[in-house]
Amino acid sequence: MAAQPEYIIEMLHITKEFPGIVANDDITLRLRKGEIHALLGENGAGKSTLMSVLFGLYKPEAGEIRKNGEVVKIDDPNDATALGIGMVHQHFKLIDVFTVLDNIILGAETTKMGFLQRREARKKVQELSERYGLHVDLDAKVEDITVGMQQRVEILKMLYRDNEILIFDEPTAVLTPQEIDELMETMRGFAREGKSILFISHKLNEIMAVSDRVTVLRKGRCIGTVNTKDTNKQALSNMMVGRPVQLEVVKSPAKPGETVLSVSGLTVPSRIHKKDAVHGVSFDVRAGEILCIAGIDGNGQTELVYGLTGLEKPTHGNIKLCGRDITHASIKKRGADMSHIPEDRHKHGLILDFTLEQNLVLQRFKEKEFEHFGFINTASVRSYAERLIEQYDVRSGQGPVTTVRSMSGGNQQKAIVARELDREKALIVAVQPTRGLDVGAIEYIHSQLVAERDKGHAILLVSLELDEVMSLSDRILVMYEGEIVGEFDPKRVTVEELGLYMAGAKRDKVSAGGESE
Amino acid sequence: MKNGRLSNLASRDGTRTVLASIVSILIGLVVGAIIVLIVGLTSDNLSLTSAWEGIRLIFGGIFSTGRDSAGALTFGFNPTNLGNMLFRATPLIMTGLSVAVAYKTGLFNIGAPGQYLMGTMASLMLALGIPSTVVPAWIIWIIAFLGGILAGALWGAIPGMLKALLNINEVIACIMTNWIAANVVTWAFEISNFKNLVESTKSSYIYKTTFNGVETPKLGLDLLFPNSQVNGGIIIAILIAVLMYVVMNKTTLGYELKACGSNRHAARYAGINDKRNIILSMAIAGGLSGAGAALYYLAGNTEFFWSTYTSLPATGFNGIPVALLAANNPIGVVFTGIFMSMLDIAGLQLTSLTAYNEYITDVIIAVIVYLSAFSLVIKMLISGRKKKKHAAAADAAASGSAPAEAATSAGDDGAAEEPLPPGEGPGEDTEAETGKGGVEA
Amino acid sequence: MTFLIQQTLLYAIPLMIVALAGVFAERSGIINLALEGIMIFGAFVGVLFVNIVQQTDVFMSAYEAGNWVTLQGLELLAMLAAAVMGAIFSLLLSFASINLKADQTIGGTALNLMAPALVLFLVRLIANQNTLRMSTGDAASWFMIKKTTLGYDRTADLGFFGNTFIDKTYIATYICIIVFIVLSIILYKTRFGLRLRSCGENPQASDSLGINVYRMRYTGTTISGALAGMGGFVYSLTTANCTANGDVAGFGFLALAVMIFGNWKPLNIAGGALLFGLFKCIAASYTSIDINGDGVYLLNELGLSPHFYRLLPYLITLLVLAFTSKSSRAPKAEGIPYDKGKR
Repeated sequence: MAAQPEYIIEMLHITKEFPGIVANDDITLRLRKGEIHALLGENGAGKSTLMSVLFGLYKPEAGEIRKNGEVVKIDDPNDATALGIGMVHQHFKLIDVFTVLDNIILGAETTKMGFLQRREARKKVQELSERYGLHVDLDAKVEDITVGMQQRVEILKMLYRDNEILIFDEPTAVLTPQEIDELMETMRGFAREGKSILFISHKLNEIMAVSDRVTVLRKGRCIGTVNTKDTNKQALSNMMVGRPVQLEVVKSPAKPGETVLSVSGLTVPSRIHKKDAVHGVSFDVRAGEILCIAGIDGNGQTELVYGLTGLEKPTHGNIKLCGRDITHASIKKRGADMSHIPEDRHKHGLILDFTLEQNLVLQRFKEKEFEHFGFINTASVRSYAERLIEQYDVRSGQGPVTTVRSMSGGNQQKAIVARELDREKALIVAVQPTRGLDVGAIEYIHSQLVAERDKGHAILLVSLELDEVMSLSDRILVMYEGEIVGEFDPKRVTVEELGLYMAGAKRDKVSAGGESE
Repeated sequence: MKNGRLSNLASRDGTRTVLASIVSILIGLVVGAIIVLIVGLTSDNLSLTSAWEGIRLIFGGIFSTGRDSAGALTFGFNPTNLGNMLFRATPLIMTGLSVAVAYKTGLFNIGAPGQYLMGTMASLMLALGIPSTVVPAWIIWIIAFLGGILAGALWGAIPGMLKALLNINEVIACIMTNWIAANVVTWAFEISNFKNLVESTKSSYIYKTTFNGVETPKLGLDLLFPNSQVNGGIIIAILIAVLMYVVMNKTTLGYELKACGSNRHAARYAGINDKRNIILSMAIAGGLSGAGAALYYLAGNTEFFWSTYTSLPATGFNGIPVALLAANNPIGVVFTGIFMSMLDIAGLQLTSLTAYNEYITDVIIAVIVYLSAFSLVIKMLISGRKKKKHAAAADAAASGSAPAEAATSAGDDGAAEEPLPPGEGPGEDTEAETGKGGVEA
Repeated sequence: MTFLIQQTLLYAIPLMIVALAGVFAERSGIINLALEGIMIFGAFVGVLFVNIVQQTDVFMSAYEAGNWVTLQGLELLAMLAAAVMGAIFSLLLSFASINLKADQTIGGTALNLMAPALVLFLVRLIANQNTLRMSTGDAASWFMIKKTTLGYDRTADLGFFGNTFIDKTYIATYICIIVFIVLSIILYKTRFGLRLRSCGENPQASDSLGINVYRMRYTGTTISGALAGMGGFVYSLTTANCTANGDVAGFGFLALAVMIFGNWKPLNIAGGALLFGLFKCIAASYTSIDINGDGVYLLNELGLSPHFYRLLPYLITLLVLAFTSKSSRAPKAEGIPYDKGKR
């Protein structure tokens, strides 16, 4: 133990290219033993790519990786595991239909003559689980447990493999503030034991709270490594984006008008399990306000939106839009007064193999403007698309005839926003409209939503990002296990308070329906 | 930029599709030739000369004119073969269109044989059942033709409904309805009085429609191709192909069908009735197959073997290679349908002139279908990887965004940061089309 | 009753084993639509093997001497040959769908077109007709286990159990049942099984845990090919008198339906196979089914057309699928080519 090298892992001059993109350009990252090292960068900065290189999922074009000063070769995850490197992926790598135990042992099974020895494995997992306070139900199927528990399963996977270098890729995105605190504590515990931690995030608060050092990436390049105690949020933010960033959304106070959407007692079944995903939910949205539904992923927000927009049939309750009962109306009929920026832009929002102009008239191709005796009026579709592209600054290779699949995620999202906002409907349902986008695109979409609000449209925003919830909304509803458990004014509530409601630790008795019947 | 125009042509998707199909065809023919060669070399009673003859017939069977007095194969312009080729292409074009239209809506119509059989049954029963003493023959023809379409459409709508309403895999449903159709058709004709009892040598055949005076007009094609079976049906098939092209590419109906096929979820989101469109698409597909059967059996010079419950018509299945080879383009289907029937003729020549048999052409077709399964790879080989990279870079640059943002295009949901492996990244748009099975799920 | 059970088993066993073939491919993430084609190919290989080997003196004299052990050995060897060639044939599908990331439905369809074409082409050359038969004798006289084979008297009564499961049976039936049980246990109780199933659900996860998804999928599809090939031969041996004509009457597709009906789980599949076997059996021999042994052939006396019984299995399949499709749950990643990216 005398001459320990300073760094346990060194990634030197890593370059990783994809066709047309240099995802990592000459990046150097050094991890000390026993430290929590944050990797900061926007969406698309190359953080995940770099970690995938370290984990053996991608092979870099240039650069080398050293462990304890010696050059190592990591060709696949097996090599990484052998070197003691483990990773909690941003999107959990779990098999939904397997039990928790099977998920933990998968890939590192103890066997006798090829047969699984689950009993031994169970003992080891139980010990680890108790030692680190990571409670899990070993016999439950992964699809039946909460996201928080799924993350604990992922952490146990690393511990089960005796990893000493732990990578956490955006681990807090799916957690409540309280769960985040717990995770931070767990991470500190690991570090105290001498495990080394790489913590990937774009959230400055968390980085300031937990890390020892920070390496900042921007557009595939390494901007620098600093000691956390020598820096501050604004400095880090400037390093990350490359320009001073407006951390707050600028908006005037809302001037709510008449009720546009009125939901009462809405119940929507789940597609995953047999219970109702949304249970007896009531609320109103008024013209000129942004009502935000906050909550942890999987608490019924998706199904609530499906129920409102007609993608799923509600079993109880009713929905009134602009005074019309639309509870059982078709998606098309609802579309008369409602536009919808969907949660999953690739599943619902776009037809990736269609051209941009075809996507821009997705709901409107049968309108008089675009249809002549059953034939598509190509000329008017073209000029309409050109106007939207111009107005909303949607960038693409070949303009209206670009296949949407080839466009960047930010521009795909802008195309959806353009299409939905241009329809000028009384109600705009926006579900995670900025997911996975960089700061520039986020700022743009936020300002567009505020502009629509100021025009007098009602906006129902569903978001998992508490920062977005706090800065954009005029009113907040918290959803927990399919019910609305609280209503708040963003100016009078703290993130911690919201967190308690999101975790189900607190709930208000009153139905948070505003002026609902 | 010396050969700029050439590379421009090569980089166009349509051109590459055609080239990929031609490569598939050539490989298929070569594989057929190799099998013939291997069999010729290993078999005692087949000589190398006969293998060579077999290979020549595989490639040029359509121009075969038999053997000369010395026993050598002769080739030349053979209007009978050409006419028969066009005649046999007629139903193939129709079943090919059937598969292609369904495929554009994201459905794999392996039910064409059943739809073809139901079309056969309806049109034959109408053509033979309506007395020509009362109704003019040409009106009977039209009724029988429309009846065939209707029967096929109804039969096709069944798996469509099962898919749309109950989410039953259409492949399984189509296979089951195929066999049900085979039994139903046999059953129906068995108890009918359309069995050919006049010519006692023919058991299990139905009367030709000429028995009731009904036949497809020749439109002068018989003068062009004497002694062949050709008639106006081929013209009708080509017109229907053009019609389908227009419907799929120029109309809002085609837009809806393709939207459902490319991304059923997004279509639903946009208020398009995906269930209706799936049923409609299968009904159209079935109607096209039924029309193919009608055109074939109303010709007047064809006979239907009604005791068909143990086998399904190959014409139905061969719609699959016809469509795939044409990359599901209705106009392309006309050409690939004619090509397939050319292979058919070559197979017949092979059987009649050599010790080999027509099944080798089915092997060739299977090889071509196999290759068309990964036409994507073939297309990539044609365009060359280097140029692709260049195009991707240009595209990224043109989009005006920094490389880092371009990387986000790959991410589906928040995984935006992780650039996807090649094949789904930017600049791959043209190739992505055929890979859609992998993307939607 | 004995007759009904035996006949049902004859149809149910190939269905069961081929449905399990489907399970191994789909649980690894590959849709094996080619089961039908592989069965056709396996049947041809097995029959050809029997046909050729029969002509050697060893087996001819064994047959004449009534040496049933040797004959059963021949049957097992033919099954093995069919399995091996089925596995090799299925490599075409694996290569296209794993290495070239091709559309698996089209790839499977290609194999389904290829098998009958190739088989008929070769059968026509070998036999000069469209059906390849055994060189001499028939399946029953060569391979069927009868009372006399085991040394009992022709008139001996072995009891219901003996009459049903020993007399007039094929060893292939029992081999298939054993293979089915062993493979089912492997699928659920071994490391290999766990890893194979993970690849059909979430290959990205498997890959991140160091499991070679490509190799797992190759293995799954190859096992699938072997089972389907063997099932094809067993089908032709027990129900088609050991002949091959490039057709198994949609059995491969029926097996796929049984697999879906059985929700990709072996136990349910066994049940489903028995149900469909029963309907197939009724279709094939309804005229001679005497359910309670009173000499009344009930189904025959109903006077329905044979075509009704023939289309019944397919109709029932559709109906059953219609009722079960809501609760059926396919492996999540099946049919989606896995691309681990540039490595």
